[in-house]
Amino acid sequence: MTATAPPPETRPQGDPSRLPPEMRFSPSNWLRKNLFNNWYNTLITVVAVVVGAILLFYGGRFIFVTGQWEAVRKNLTLLMMGVYPRNEQWRLVAQMYLVASALGLAWGTVTARSHDRAEETGVVAQRATPRDLLRRYWSILLLLAVILVFTRTIWPTLFTLSTIAVGLAVRAGAMRLPPSSRRICGYAAAFMAIVSFQVVSGASGSAWWWTSALFALAAFQLTSARDLTKYLGTTMNWPIFGRTRLVTARDLVRLKRFAQILAVVAAVVVVRIAYWLIGDTSSVSWDDWSGLYLTLVASGAAIILSFPLALLLAVGRRSSLPAIRWLCVSYIELFRGVPFIVLLFVAKIFIDFFLNIDTPLSLTTRTIIVFTIFSSAYLAEVVRGGLQAVPRGQIEAGQAVGLQPPAVMRLIVLPQALRAVIPAMVGQFISLYKDSTLFTFISVVEFYRARELIHSQQEFTTTAIAETLVFVAFAYWAISYTMSKESQRLERHLGVGER
Amino acid sequence: MTDTTTTTTSVNSDATQIGGRDLMIEMSGVDKFFGSFQALTSIDMRVGTGEVVVVIGPSGSGKSTLIRCLNRLEHHDRGRIVVDGVELTDDVRNIALIRRETGMVFQQFNLFPHITVIDNITLGPRQVLKMPKKQAEDRAMELLERVKIPEQARKFPGQLSGGQQQRVAIARSLAMQPKIMLFDEPTSALDPEMISEVLDVILELSQTGMTLIVVTHEMGFAREAADRVIFMADGEIVEVGEPEHFFTNPREERTQLFLSQIL
Repeated sequence: MTATAPPPETRPQGDPSRLPPEMRFSPSNWLRKNLFNNWYNTLITVVAVVVGAILLFYGGRFIFVTGQWEAVRKNLTLLMMGVYPRNEQWRLVAQMYLVASALGLAWGTVTARSHDRAEETGVVAQRATPRDLLRRYWSILLLLAVILVFTRTIWPTLFTLSTIAVGLAVRAGAMRLPPSSRRICGYAAAFMAIVSFQVVSGASGSAWWWTSALFALAAFQLTSARDLTKYLGTTMNWPIFGRTRLVTARDLVRLKRFAQILAVVAAVVVVRIAYWLIGDTSSVSWDDWSGLYLTLVASGAAIILSFPLALLLAVGRRSSLPAIRWLCVSYIELFRGVPFIVLLFVAKIFIDFFLNIDTPLSLTTRTIIVFTIFSSAYLAEVVRGGLQAVPRGQIEAGQAVGLQPPAVMRLIVLPQALRAVIPAMVGQFISLYKDSTLFTFISVVEFYRARELIHSQQEFTTTAIAETLVFVAFAYWAISYTMSKESQRLERHLGVGER
Repeated sequence: MTDTTTTTTSVNSDATQIGGRDLMIEMSGVDKFFGSFQALTSIDMRVGTGEVVVVIGPSGSGKSTLIRCLNRLEHHDRGRIVVDGVELTDDVRNIALIRRETGMVFQQFNLFPHITVIDNITLGPRQVLKMPKKQAEDRAMELLERVKIPEQARKFPGQLSGGQQQRVAIARSLAMQPKIMLFDEPTSALDPEMISEVLDVILELSQTGMTLIVVTHEMGFAREAADRVIFMADGEIVEVGEPEHFFTNPREERTQLFLSQIL
């Protein structure tokens, strides 16, 4: 256990004679001490400098002088959105704006809440400066800049900048909303995100179902949160009851349930009618998603969906009920024991066969499903590692306080377990993101496959192979690197005040 | 609730009193095994309301196991345990009922390291007693005043000294307004200079009429605070007595040996 730190004024400060010797810093000292302190270190330093210089020279020459970037420049659209119908591009632009607004809304709400909490507890949160943001996101911003350099018109740049502007504007607006509207903001953000995907996939088929489910949930929640006596008064004098009497608790429960059912039904009906009015727009479908867009959406969806699944599996694997434990162990061992490519072919060929439904799921959906299944099995084991790292005494303390087992798990064990495994979890996410390249094998045109399509064009069959490869590698790296950096930040952020 | 009534009626009327106090805890014929190792052997113990009982004995003698059986952190294999009229069985409702009435303080503090001190204290009241946030926090601050560290409320447990952490742990247990407090070697993991600050808090508690069972090696504390001292060895209760008599004139040979080793 840590003792309290000595008060800062007793620590040596400023006075160089009181600093430990290694803190007296000068560049020549440092060089002599670390790089040239004996003959073999001197040798290693010289060799490393020479090799580094050579690599830098050839790398720089390739990127800025000899590289034939025409292949990337001409096929940028193919790389970004793959085979998505060219005359439907406005849908992607619309989604960009919708997603930016949703993110801005969510971000603003979260920031406002943390500000409120900081005010309440007296702990002032540090504001991120533009320099901090640049340091955090430089790899993604660099990727964005490179992509925009390759564009031939000004429009993509304008779209990008205006998207960022919209996101920031919505965020600023959301932060000024009263706290009571935060729940609605959350639903609005989710609604915008879902609608945006229906814009890019066409509002056909079963898409309306998702929206109505969200609407129903929102309606249910909002009805439950209301105090009905505010609207009804405390006495009832409705003609159908015949006489005036006090509203009892039982009446309120019944009324609330009635209001909830009504709200849910109304929500579903409204959404259904809205979709009916929009009509069937089947000019695009989920299977049109491709390129970097598909890579991001598919891995994002798999990350978001596999996380809760993995939690359930990990907790289930430690259940005291043999049936649940056995089920979870089987799931994990089965899907960890099968190569991902095999699962992908199962998705392509067999899933319809098993599910036995008339309208087959789109290939994209099926791919995302197996992607989620596959990654949740791995993630579950990571989470289990975290669960086991939580000392037994923590569970006992929770029980002694009177918490029931689910509350102990949710409030005490999981928060500690998850923060212990953030690095491993993000590592899993990064590898998941890169595993999406395997979609190539079932002819789903994700980012890497889009790059291969460039070289099936007559013009580039044998040329610019290195250039496209470098570009694709850079794009994968830029995003992975940001994920890794964000995980470190999250770790530091959550580690505040820990043992 | 039916269990409660059957329990109280089954015990005859003069057995519900002990030394002029109402009976709070009763253990009879309790055995506990870890695998084939017998940790407790036919334990009979009765504790009255408001009584302060100190349990001492060599390590491995079953002291901790004894009090961990009282709030079902360990389940006993044989015998009966009745706490405040509720019998400890596999019935989860009884377990929940008893855990709500007993607070426990651990040797290793076991504070929740991921939430602040005040959240540690309000967690139980808010989640279990469904107390509103404001009320729970006001109560938590009162308790922190009582253990003399209100200024630490917004810190995380890791930023506190051992003695402070243990006092927070006591406040966390008290927040549930228990009738019984169980202390499992509360000062054994502390640096010597922090022991007294924790013992002072427990001593203060002992004067409030709460039922306390304290497992400890602090003989000075036992002498000062205890109504009764229980000496355990090899999973058995060897000797029970009032502290004055116990320390000056122990009856059993094993007690004498133990006391001569530590005093």
